[in-house]
Amino acid sequence: MSNDREVILSVKHVDVSFDNGGKKRFRAVKDATFDIYRGETFALVGESGSGKTTLGRAILRINELSNGEIDFKGKRISGKISKEEDTNVIRSIQMIFQDPAASLNERATIEYCVSEGLYNFHLYKDEADRIAKVDKALEDVGLLPEHKSRYPHEFSGGQRQRVGIARAMIMEPEFIVADEPISALDVSIRAQVLNLMNKLKEEKGLTYLFIAHDLSVVRFIADRIAVIHLGRIVEIADSEELFAHPLHPYTVSLLSAVPMPDPQIEKNRKLVVYDNSKRDLSGPKPVLQEITPGHFVFANDREMAEYREKLKKMDEEKKNLTNQ
Amino acid sequence: MSEIANNEIMNETAVEEQLPADAFEFAEFDEKESEHIAAPRYSYWGSVWKTFIRNKFTVGLAIFIIILVAFAIIQPMFSGYDPMIAPYINDSSHKFQSPSLKYLFGTDNVGNSVFDAVFAGARNSIIISFVCTAINMLIGIPVGALWGFSKKLDKYMIEIYNVISNVPFLLLAMILSYVLGSGYLPLIFTMTCTDWIYVAYFIRTQVMIIRDREYNLASKCLGTPTWTMITKNILPYLISVIMTYVSREIPALISYEVFLSYMGLGLSAKYASLGKLISQYTSFMTGYPHLFWIPVGILACISISLYVVGQRLADAADPRTHM
Repeated sequence: MSNDREVILSVKHVDVSFDNGGKKRFRAVKDATFDIYRGETFALVGESGSGKTTLGRAILRINELSNGEIDFKGKRISGKISKEEDTNVIRSIQMIFQDPAASLNERATIEYCVSEGLYNFHLYKDEADRIAKVDKALEDVGLLPEHKSRYPHEFSGGQRQRVGIARAMIMEPEFIVADEPISALDVSIRAQVLNLMNKLKEEKGLTYLFIAHDLSVVRFIADRIAVIHLGRIVEIADSEELFAHPLHPYTVSLLSAVPMPDPQIEKNRKLVVYDNSKRDLSGPKPVLQEITPGHFVFANDREMAEYREKLKKMDEEKKNLTNQ
Repeated sequence: MSEIANNEIMNETAVEEQLPADAFEFAEFDEKESEHIAAPRYSYWGSVWKTFIRNKFTVGLAIFIIILVAFAIIQPMFSGYDPMIAPYINDSSHKFQSPSLKYLFGTDNVGNSVFDAVFAGARNSIIISFVCTAINMLIGIPVGALWGFSKKLDKYMIEIYNVISNVPFLLLAMILSYVLGSGYLPLIFTMTCTDWIYVAYFIRTQVMIIRDREYNLASKCLGTPTWTMITKNILPYLISVIMTYVSREIPALISYEVFLSYMGLGLSAKYASLGKLISQYTSFMTGYPHLFWIPVGILACISISLYVVGQRLADAADPRTHM
């Protein structure tokens, strides 16, 4: 990734831990460091319990950081910030939630759900202006103005998720954390929501942090991908680069788990099981380091040498294939 | 089965043959149409009402309790019953009369109409319990909602709750009745000064259950202030459990009032009350049992029907019953 692009969100050595009363602390996110550039879709991929949602919520300041800091447009947003800054950040960073059934207030009309943010910061001139804004937001996500007086339980899952998107969009944010926005949806409407998110991104110049566990979806929507395992970011690379040259054994294992729609390939697909205990973990402590421009991997020097070797081999194989 | 299916297919082909081609036209695909919701509009209170009146027994009971309460409020205004006045106290033929047309429930040991006495008593008991319930709820719900929301407040409130809940209520009632005397306001104060904290504790627990649900996180992300969260996100979800609580609280407070008056800690002599009547008539239990059972029966009628109607209303307020 070229360095002249503007960094919109910068996560620096972030730790998030939960203590359960006693001295035992559970570190859900360990030393996460990455930058997100304006206008891109940055995907955070990992299995259940890997800390991806925790990290997403830490950016929205729902979870407190126990270490490190998060900068938004060059200004620190983690920890204590002024009230004015707080308002600014709330407006600029919005979230799309995983479960559309749980993330809408069932006892409020769609009109209230969507205008909630407008009410909080009084972002409208008068009632007519607010109604117009709500209508516009609903229209943007393909819903009808007549839906305003309905309650969330009257909608289908896809419609509800779009209400959730409208609620976030009405704040005119610059950055959106989408926490598995399609995992709870029916397969037939996933594409609809993804296309809508892409459309809105282009129209409004948004930046997404897309949290997911489904690699085929991530490949479709993301520009760059970070793989997180047990709270540790193990690999960051451009989307195509990651799929072409997976280096960290966990990434390899994750990619091998993607089902292929071609029965011939599917028959020969080998599942690589990742087991931390079977790996050679000798040598100094690993850190996240750049192996090729824009491609970071969590490794120590010995492993780096191995990965370089692996990259060379992959390139040779590719050359052989094209030569044939 | 297959014959019928065959016939249907044949019929269809026959119909198709008869139809001219120009009877058909292309329907335009309208994307908006697929978003349209055809179901009638949902209204929360409308559905509560519909669910409530579905059960005829409850509706009957509700009408009964409304009439009973209205009668208890209005009747004493006309009867002019006053427990301090006993015009027939020296007329022994006027005492302990059996129920008759003139005295529907008979007369008591001082020759007063039991009918008038019971309703004058019921009026005070009902008013006190309604007022106390209202006060307890008005203090308890907001305090409980904030208590459930704020972890900082919880640290202190839970200690206050522990202290208050460990003071025996009867001891408190006795001390307060000695200090404040007996009367309407002291009794209301006695029954509300600590009772609200139980309401608050109950609400706190309920709030904690739904506080961290995803839609509340969503509101937090939108910058919604705590008080708006409470009134818009939390309390609407609690309507049903609050109604359940109220439907237990009103009869419980009527019983409390009866209990305190029976113990001599309640209202002073110049007010009638169901509790005082019951305690006064207990001594004639062997000779004239109806004197005891009539106020007890009225008390039971009021408490039970209020409780049942309240429970049904609480059920109807739960949207899961609206389907």
